[in-house]
Formats: sequence, C-alpha cells, structure tokens
Amino acid sequence: MTDAKKSEVLQGTLDLMILKTLHALGPQHGFGIARRIEQVSRDVLQLNEGTVYTSLLRLLQQKWIAAEWGTSDNNRKAKYYSITARGEKQLAVETENWERISGVVGRVLQLEEEK
Amino acid sequence: MAYGRISRLRALAARVLGLLGPRKSDNDFDEELQTHLQLLVDRFVAQGMSREDAAAAARRQFGNTTLLQEDRRELRTLVSVEDLGRDLRYTLRSLGRSRAFVAVAIATLGLGIGASTAIFSVIDNVLLEPFPYKDPGRMVFLRIHDAARGEEGERQGYTSNEFLEFAGQNHVFDGVIAASDDLVLYKHGEGVELLYGADVTPGTFEFFGMPALYGRVMRPADYQPGAPPVFVMRHKTWMERFNGDPGVLNKTFVLNGTARTLIGIMPPRFGWYEADVLIPEMPVPGVSTGFAGLPARWFLLGRLKRGVSKAQAAADATVIANHLAKINPQDYPAHFQVFVKMLGDTVIGRFESTLYTILAAVGMLLLIGCGNVANLMLARATSREKEFALRAVLGAGRARLVRLLLIESLVLAIGGTALGVLIAWGGLKLIVAAMPQNFIPAESVIELNAPAMAFTLVVAVLTAVIFGLAPALQIARRDLNDPLRDSGKGVVGGFRSGRMRDTVVVMEVAVSLTLLIGAGLLMRSFVALREVHLGLQADHVFQTQLRLPEDRYKTAAQVRGFFQPLLARVKALPGVVDATESGALPPYGGMDTKIEISGKSHESEWHALLQQVSEGYFRVLRIPFTGGRAFSESEINDARKVAVVNETFVSTYLRGENPIGRRVQLAGLENLADPVREPWFEIVGVAADVTNQGLEAPIEPEAWVPYTVTGSGAQVLMVRSQQTPMALMNDVRQAVWATDSGVALAFPSALEDRISQRLYASPRFAFLLMTILGCLGLILVTVGVYSVLAYATTRKTQEIGIRLALGAERGDVLRWVIRAGLRLVTAGAAIGLLVSLLLGRAIEAELWRGVKPYDPATLAGTTLLLVATGALACWIPARRAARVDPMTALRYE
Repeated sequence: MTDAKKSEVLQGTLDLMILKTLHALGPQHGFGIARRIEQVSRDVLQLNEGTVYTSLLRLLQQKWIAAEWGTSDNNRKAKYYSITARGEKQLAVETENWERISGVVGRVLQLEEEK
Repeated sequence: MAYGRISRLRALAARVLGLLGPRKSDNDFDEELQTHLQLLVDRFVAQGMSREDAAAAARRQFGNTTLLQEDRRELRTLVSVEDLGRDLRYTLRSLGRSRAFVAVAIATLGLGIGASTAIFSVIDNVLLEPFPYKDPGRMVFLRIHDAARGEEGERQGYTSNEFLEFAGQNHVFDGVIAASDDLVLYKHGEGVELLYGADVTPGTFEFFGMPALYGRVMRPADYQPGAPPVFVMRHKTWMERFNGDPGVLNKTFVLNGTARTLIGIMPPRFGWYEADVLIPEMPVPGVSTGFAGLPARWFLLGRLKRGVSKAQAAADATVIANHLAKINPQDYPAHFQVFVKMLGDTVIGRFESTLYTILAAVGMLLLIGCGNVANLMLARATSREKEFALRAVLGAGRARLVRLLLIESLVLAIGGTALGVLIAWGGLKLIVAAMPQNFIPAESVIELNAPAMAFTLVVAVLTAVIFGLAPALQIARRDLNDPLRDSGKGVVGGFRSGRMRDTVVVMEVAVSLTLLIGAGLLMRSFVALREVHLGLQADHVFQTQLRLPEDRYKTAAQVRGFFQPLLARVKALPGVVDATESGALPPYGGMDTKIEISGKSHESEWHALLQQVSEGYFRVLRIPFTGGRAFSESEINDARKVAVVNETFVSTYLRGENPIGRRVQLAGLENLADPVREPWFEIVGVAADVTNQGLEAPIEPEAWVPYTVTGSGAQVLMVRSQQTPMALMNDVRQAVWATDSGVALAFPSALEDRISQRLYASPRFAFLLMTILGCLGLILVTVGVYSVLAYATTRKTQEIGIRLALGAERGDVLRWVIRAGLRLVTAGAAIGLLVSLLLGRAIEAELWRGVKPYDPATLAGTTLLLVATGALACWIPARRAARVDPMTALRYE
C-alpha cells in the first residue's frame, strides 16, 4: 500500500477532529465519523479507524459528547454521537489553542528555512 | 488535546462508576465495532473487491480490535485484571524470595490484629451488646443515695409497698418489674441441692420480650393466688444439673417445700438476675418476708418510655420517693437523691474501664506492629530503589509502582489477618478462662462475632494502607534516575531515607515504654492490693453457707437446736481447730442497722453493720481484742443481749469514752421475721478493725451479737483447720447431714480463695493481660530496633570497611553502631516517659490507692528494662559490623 506517504495522526488531534466533525455534521455514528475524516484529510492521514472509538470514549467520559442508540440509513442498529454544550465550549477553546500553536509552529518553521 | 486537572477528575469519576456499572456495555462496544467492520467490508465489496480481500482490507484499515478492547478497558476501569494478576504473581514471587521478611511482617501484623480483634470481641460482647432483650438501652433501675453518707449509703432494694408505688404512680416507665433473692432448696432422691432462685413479679417475661426455648413462660394467671405452683428454669442450670434432658419439662419438683411444675426452659442468653430458677410472685401491700426471714427486698427494673431521659425519670421517681418517705420515714435518710442507672451498670461497673484500658494497650501494640512492618517495608523499598528506577525507565508509570507496593502491603495484610484471626480465636479462649466471674453480665456470650470480624478487616486494610503508603510515597516523590547513578551502597548511601526509619523506631520505643509502664503500674497495684491488711487471718479457713429449710427453722430456738450439735460435731473432727456460726462472710460485714447509744443524743442517723455470730467467731478468724472480752459460751447459749463492737464503732460514736458496759440499741433486729423485742445490747468487748465493706471502701462501724437472739438471718459455717481447708469438705458435709439431712451446703470453699476470686480477679485480669501485651510490645520493639540497625549496618558495610582499613579499632565500630542505636532508644524512652506521665490520669482509676501513676520504682524499672533490651538489639548487628573484613567490604566497590 501507499502507507509510507501518509502521516500518523498527532496524539490528541483526533479528539479535536471528532469534536469538530460532530459540530459540523450533527449526530453521527462511528463509521460516519471515520468516513468524514477520511474524506476531509484526502488520504493524507493514516488512521486506524478503531482508534476513533477510543477517542469517542475519552470524549464521553468528559461529557463533551453524548451517545444514543439509533438506526442507520440501511436499517442497522448504530450508536449515534452528538456534541454537548460543554463540548461546544471545549471545541471553541481548543480551536483557538490549535490555531495559535500551529501559527507559532508555522512561523518557527519558516524561520528555519530563511536561515 | 489538552486535558486539565478537572478533566482528569472527571475521567476518574467515570472510571469509578465504570467499576460499578453494568458489564453489558462491553457487548455493546463489541457490536459497535463489528458493525463498523461490516460497513467497511460492504464498501470495499461495492468497489469491486472479493469478499476475502475486502475483509482483510477492512481489518487493516480498522486496526487491532483486541488492542482496542484493552484500551477501552484501561479507560473504563481503574486497574485492568490482567495487570492486577501480573502484579500479584510478581509480588508473590518476590515475597517468596525473602521468607524471613514475610515471616516477621506477617507475625507482627498477626499479633497486632489478633490481639485487637480478641479484645474488641470481648468489649463488643460485654459492653456494647451484652443484653439480648427488647430495648435494653431503655432498661433502668433506681438507686437511693443518702446525701449525707455518700457512696456507701445507697439502697437499691425496695419493699413490696415501695415497688407497688413506683410501678403504679410513675409517669416515665412503660413497665416496671422486680425480682427478689430466693435461695431454693430442691429435694431429690439422693438428698438436697441448692439453687439460686429469684421471685419475679407479673409482667417480667413480657418485659424482656423473650419466649421460652422449650415449654412456655409465665402467664398472668400463674401469679394469681391459688394458681397451680409453677417455675421456669435457666438454660445453663438445665444443662449443668439435668444434662439438657427435655424430659424434665412439665415434671414436678419440690422447691422449698412446695411442689412446683417446671413449665419452661429459657434460651441460653436469658440471664435475668442470674437466677437458676424463676418463681412467680405477686407482691402484695404490707410487710412481707423474703429469704432467710429477712424483710423482702425487691430489685426494680423499669423501661423508660420513648423520649424520656434519665434525668426526667429521676425527677419523677423522686416525687414518688418523697411521698414514700413521708409514710415510712424510718426507711429514708433525711436528705436523699434518686439515681437512675442503666441495666448494664448492675454488673460491669469498674470492669468497663479495665476493658477500655486494655483496648488502648492493644491499640498501642497494633501501632508498634504497624511501625515494625512499615520499617521493614521501607528498608525493603530502599534496597529495591534500583529495581524501581529501572522499571520507571522502562516505562512503568509512578501510579503503577505505587500500586505494586500497595499490592505487596495487601498481600502481607491478608496473611497477617489470617494469622490474626487464628490468634484472636485462641486468645479469646484464654481471655474467657482468665475473665473474672461476676464482672460481666450473665447474658453476654463472648465469641468472635461479625462486628469483631469487620473490625479486623478494617484494621487490616488500614494497616496495609498505612505501612504500604509510606514507602510508596517516598518512591513516588523521588527522582527515579537518582538511584541508577548512586551505587546505593556507598559511603553516603542510606542516610537520606534513614530519617523516616529512625522516626518510626523512636515512635515504637516510646509507645512500647508507655505500654510497659502501664503494665508495671498495674502489677504494682496488684501487689499492693494483695498486701492490704484484712485484719483477720483468712488462711486455713473453710467456709460454707447453710440453707436451713424454712418450714422447720423459724425461731431462734430451732436454729440453735441445729447449730449447737453441728458445731460440737465439727469441732470434734480430726484436724479442726475451731468452728463458728456467722451471719456474713469476710471481707463483708452483716446487715445495715440504725443504732442508738444510751446517754448519747445526735441529730443525724447513726448506722452500724450487724452480724450474728457464735463464740468461736473471733478465734476462728484470729481477730484480736483491744478492750473487754469475747462472748462466753453461756452468753451464746442463753441468748444474752450482749454485743462486741469494732474500733471504728468506738472512735466514731464513743470517742474518748469507755465503751464497755454502754448500752446500744440495734433497731434493725426489730424488723426481722423473728424479731428481737427491745433490742438493747450491752457492749462487752471491742475487737480490732476488720475490713467489712470489701477491700477498697473504708471500714464501717460494726457490732456483733449472739446468733441465738433471732432465728432470722443468713447462716454461714466457718471452720479453722490444721490442713488444707478443702480437705474438710466431706467430713463437714457428713456432720451437717448427720445433724439434719434437709440442710444444703451452698458455695463451700476456702475463705482465702473466695476472697481472692471476688476481689483480686478483676485487677489480676487487667495486670495479666497488660503484662502479656507489654511483653509482646517489648519483643516487637526489639525486633524493630534490631532490623533497622541491621539494615543500616549492612548498607554501611563499605564505610565500615574503609574505616577499618584506615586504622579504626573494631571496638570503635562496635561503639559507633551501638551509640547510633541507643540514641534512638533513649530518644524514644524519653518521649515514652513523658507520654506516660501525661497519660497518668487515665490509668489512675485502675490503680489501687497508694500506687501513684508516677511511681518512681516502676518508671525506673521499666525504662531500664526497655533500654537494656534495646542495647541487646543493637549489640548483635554491632558485633556483626565489627567483624566486617575490610578487604571483602572494599572489593564490592
């Protein structure tokens, strides 16, 4: 496969991506979340889709998301996750953090090149 | 994403809940993963893959499901079962390699836990839950105190009239019952036996709320005049006298001349009034006579109404008592108070504080034990620093290391608990055997019970946490890289964590000395108690109470008709020096009576104890006379109204006057079933003081009169013998039955044994247990001091080797190590002395008067013992250190 070209998901960023996905698309099951991340990352990220569930559990424990059993489009039983109010707040904080840090990291990397 | 402190707490809460929550969610999770996989497969198939390829691709894209499950479990719970199992296996393996450590740790813990469980069992059974009755906490009795006379002027026996008044006029009790002594002569084929009986009032069994084990309890009809006579038996009596034979039920027994049917046998824990048999009796107004022709006295028991306090009950009872005092002023002191006492107060009294003192001592022992184990763990943890550092470097979290240590502690605690339960079980048997009789409620059954077991478990878990946490915290606090750099055996090694171990040893020594001083004080107190001068010689005296059938022995002449030939027969027995009749048994005087002395007027009431005796009394007990003379044989036989008084009587009422020839009125004699009219007696002699209120209370004024003046009163036979008193037992019994086969001997024993059982048993019990605990504490401390020093010297082997190589003498090394050890011991001893002095007040109540809690001899003796033992514990590792071969020691570098 072409795995060598793909980047590993940075630890902790998966949680943020899932929060953002749920914020943007509304309630989703695990498979849907994995598809969305795959689609958005355009095959740049290598994702063990199973880790999505570990991440979901972490978020559940913080009560940033909620879970509910429902039926999927093709009539399968599936667990739907949705972002909570607390999760929305956390998402805002984390997004700002991320932007600030990635901005700083980007600037530092540019400095490296100018040297 | 950043997870802050609050987030971590929230996750922890979720994990704890996860422990409690249903396991079903594991299946849900599985189902969720399977669905996901299935959707992936469907997708790949739709893209044109074969089923097999699609499944493989899906698994690749999804990742390892087993790992995922484990991740999830780690997230959901505190500890994964696999990890726990691994830690446990590792712990068992590593403990298996240090057997000595395990043996000492488990033995130490077992002793502490075992001793505390045993004592807690006793306390729970005797003090906390002694009574199996309905609402025992609301059962109270009344005691009337003479405000002018303090402790000894108290009364808790009431006449029938008083009982009826209290029962009928109060507003504070749900019910009032009463019981009265009744020695029961029980006739069977072979002879007569004596049972300790109680007459009980209507409602007694309803009051206690206990049904009979076999048969039935009494019904209201059984108390009615003319009802068929019945009685109920205690379980213990049934087992001991009738071997638990159910055939005795509904049989008829002749009790005190009346044929009564046995209608019920009570359950084992029913012990009201400690009576062998319970006989229904309806108190009626008017004077009634009870046992031995003395006026009937009822012991009252009431159940407080819900929400009524003891103070309210006392106030209500005082109103009734004031009314009674107006009707019968002779029965009430001028100023009195009514006290309301709990049922438990009847028997336990001072023994309660004894038990709590012992519990405190046991707690100290447990503390020393924990200190020892903590030190062992600390030493072990310190020598394992490198192992832990390596584990940390290889990725074990600190939480994981702490968990490993806690598991080790728990394994030791479980071992200690198992041993402790065994020790408690055996120790309890010993304690019950050593326990003084008559000091605990008859109802209490002492056994290892559920609360005691729960207590053990709590102690064990606490112990594990306390001694496991100390080293665990130390590891967690340290920079784990340090030990890897440090060789751990160098010159400086071992000093950093040494302070904690030193503190523990100093604490242990201090606690141990406190314990030893307590034991020493109780021992001295016991010795002092044994040396109390009774004023009489109790050795070589045989005594027995005699129960004369009431129907044939009512008058003075009838009683004399029995005793005159009996005393003659007994005196003629080989080995008998002398014999006498007496109305009471030392060290107690007889009944209390009000007195008047001719030519003396006084405002307050004058009281004295009164005993009826025969002429041999003062010779048998070897009581000397300080004035006048003893009774002559003819004075006894002619029932002359003469009296002997004690010195306290003279110094209290006739100070500075010649008592001989004075006349004294003993009013109590008028109230007997066989009353003495005009009870004025002429004093003929003054006897030396003899303790007559037990060993601890001051001596009361006392008067002795010829037993022939009345047929009422208790009868005791005392015989002075040349050999062991109990050797006379059979001869005396034959002499009694030769005189009258219907008379029973009650409680025959050597007077000396009886006194020591009654009076020394409780202090002996306290001092015995304290001594055992003190010795155990000393052993544990010795082990503690030894292990700390041995450990420290092993760590410093190289330093010692260098010193020796540089020219130090072996004697220097010996002194160096011993000094280091003794510094700890003396520091601990100093603290222990200080604590003992501060705690002195607590133990003072346990001490016999004259023994002070700061008794210098005891303090010096125990301190010396402790320091000497401590020095011994230092000497062994010191000698080993001094024998270090410098070459070997240095080669280790």
